[in-house]
Amino acid sequence: MQISINNFTKTFDGTPVIDDMNLTIRDGEMLALLGPSGCGKSTTLFTISGIHRMDKGQLMFGDRDVSGLPSQKRNVGVVFQNYALYPHMNVFENIAFPLTVRKDNKADIDREVRAIAALTHISELLERRPGQLSGGQQQRVALARALVRKPDVLLLDEPLANLDAKLRLEMRSEIRRIQLETGITAVLVTHDQVEAMSMCDRIAIMKKGEIVQIDTPADMYSNPRTSFVAGFLGNPPISFLSGIAMENSFSVAPIKLRVPLGAHEGIADGTQLKLGVRPEHFGPEGDIAVEGKIAFAETQGRENLYDVALADGSVLRSIQPAGRNWALGDTVRWFIDSKSAFVFSDDGRRL
Amino acid sequence: MRTSSPHRANLLGLAFMTPAMVLLLGFFFLPVVLTSVFAFTNMSTATGISGGSYIVTGNLLRSLTDEGLDAKTIEALGQSSYVIDQAGLEKARAAGVDAKFITEIGERLKDRSFTSASAFERELKTLPSRPTRVRDLKIAAGAFEQSVLNVRYASRGEMEAALLHMLENPPQGAIERIATASYTGWTWTTENFKNLLVAPDTWRIVGNTVFYVVLTLAFNVLVGLFLAITTFYLPSAGSSFFSVLWLLPRITPVVLYAVMWKWFTWEDGFVFNIAQDLGLPAFNYMKGSVASAWTVVILVNGFVGASFGMILFSGALKAIPVQQLWASDVDGASRWQQIRYIILPHMRWPILFVTSYQTLSLLSSYEQIWLTTNGGPGSTTTVWALEAFKTALNNYTGNLQYGLGAAMALILVAVGLVLSIVYLRLFRFDEMMSKPKIEF
Repeated sequence: MQISINNFTKTFDGTPVIDDMNLTIRDGEMLALLGPSGCGKSTTLFTISGIHRMDKGQLMFGDRDVSGLPSQKRNVGVVFQNYALYPHMNVFENIAFPLTVRKDNKADIDREVRAIAALTHISELLERRPGQLSGGQQQRVALARALVRKPDVLLLDEPLANLDAKLRLEMRSEIRRIQLETGITAVLVTHDQVEAMSMCDRIAIMKKGEIVQIDTPADMYSNPRTSFVAGFLGNPPISFLSGIAMENSFSVAPIKLRVPLGAHEGIADGTQLKLGVRPEHFGPEGDIAVEGKIAFAETQGRENLYDVALADGSVLRSIQPAGRNWALGDTVRWFIDSKSAFVFSDDGRRL
Repeated sequence: MRTSSPHRANLLGLAFMTPAMVLLLGFFFLPVVLTSVFAFTNMSTATGISGGSYIVTGNLLRSLTDEGLDAKTIEALGQSSYVIDQAGLEKARAAGVDAKFITEIGERLKDRSFTSASAFERELKTLPSRPTRVRDLKIAAGAFEQSVLNVRYASRGEMEAALLHMLENPPQGAIERIATASYTGWTWTTENFKNLLVAPDTWRIVGNTVFYVVLTLAFNVLVGLFLAITTFYLPSAGSSFFSVLWLLPRITPVVLYAVMWKWFTWEDGFVFNIAQDLGLPAFNYMKGSVASAWTVVILVNGFVGASFGMILFSGALKAIPVQQLWASDVDGASRWQQIRYIILPHMRWPILFVTSYQTLSLLSSYEQIWLTTNGGPGSTTTVWALEAFKTALNNYTGNLQYGLGAAMALILVAVGLVLSIVYLRLFRFDEMMSKPKIEF
């Protein structure tokens, strides 16, 4: 079911958290709300679920306006960060709860619960209490409970934050599998860009209550609209150089660096600019030479990470396959791949 | 490492525990021990709490008669006899009787005894040196009088000797029985419990107590829970106002609180006037009828306990992770279902605590009843604790029966202990106190 949020405004105790936001989640897609803490992503999620109410705006589930409805009447499934399983009920009762309060008949409840338990691979855990489950199992129970009454939308609030690294990888693909199998529209709130990119069809990056960009993970990575988006996606992160426009080039005078602006011709000389260079676009191969010193080196096994300090103190990050290893303090003359570099105006807009 | 360090650590631990142990012994254990000790005595104002002496009084003779001691022995106990012996002669000399007369008595009547004053005096009158005045004669005769009646003996041995002297052929065991009965101090006894068991009042008071505790407890817990949950769902500004309002019965001094209830329910009080205006029966609602007296007693105690419950329940409600409530909201649970399936299960421990704590404090509470209905009308609202208090500490007749009162208190302690154990079992206390396995 398509979910649309129109002109949504929310304030807490007079502090505006979300201001005039518009967002459409397509039927059957999984959308990530990605952003740093305090950007309003959880607020948006809880507003869709009805836990928070809109101060202004409209929320549509398909053709139905649910802005004024309490969460009981919205038919949403929510997976909370701490799962919020009911500790006094066993797994079966937890999953059955949404159906029990709807007063479905016993046979139906039993069938539905067993079906969803099979989907989430917890059929053998139904008699246990939440306290007897591992984190990953609790996660699956929470998912099953959210899905059991076939909600219009599945909302996931940082569902992987409480899991250890290995389980996080496993549950990442599990949640995606279950979402694809059920074809449910889903919203995932996360501050982890890897989670967002690996699990979702589209990502909406939020900053200070606004959606900065909404795109597919690949498009967003290769075509960020602002320096904030470019900085948020990618690990290791992109590095920025500050400079000015000079004769259709990005120029950092003190180190005599000049990167041609190519398509962005016609920028007045002297305009302050920022150049974003992803780590994979800076290394022994490329077209624009830069000299610097290895200021940081980290071995990750398959790859090595380097920070190269330039003469003016700015730093470029690089990721290189292991094999030819540089040591801390080595002077290197590496190259920027100028066609892959992003040019931003001083206020962060992509040019 | 020095081997003595664990030992020292133990001593230090003991030192830290000492204040707690002293308090525990002094304020918790000792009162129970003393109550148990007193419960098996017949201590009262009459016996005192130190030792007593042995004395046969007219009252004792009457009660011995009632208990079926044979009439002959009773009569013998009540009588005086006159025996001419060395002790009597000494006594007469000390009383200032003429020495010549004493000598004559000693010579002529030595070792004789008389059962009545008149026979003895008749005999004395035959002696040559008899005094001329009848008063002197009576003084002389009085010196030889022997009686146990109203004579205080310090020990049981002396009393028994005196009895043996008085009674010619006492029936089997009569001496011991009379000596025991004549003791004025307290004795060890299990009579308190036997008497309680057979007294018809006992079971009425037990009934009253059960009625009082069950109804007041239900009021405490249910109203407390109701108030806590309703204020929980109120906006915070309103809820704190209501919280303070409901705390008033708890923070008002108990005497003032009782006086306010009197104004509320007595003749010409608030309820009285309202009832009169409405044409309903207007009377002293506090003591005027059994039903209204019970209503007052239960409400007076109920509101105090309800505000106590409300504080506890409110705190517990705030401790429920808010995600649990959110989760149940989005799962579609109505308010009532949320209370029934999420909130109440989370409230198990505070409900157990309030229930058991209030049961025990209600069992032993009497002050509000004492200050309002004072157990009336008649003794219809008299509960066990009030009866024990009146028996032991506040009695119209003036004879405070510490022993019986302590026995009643001890029964209360035993009932309390049994109930505590039952509650702990019922609510599976150990399971509840174990570390939660789920993270919030």
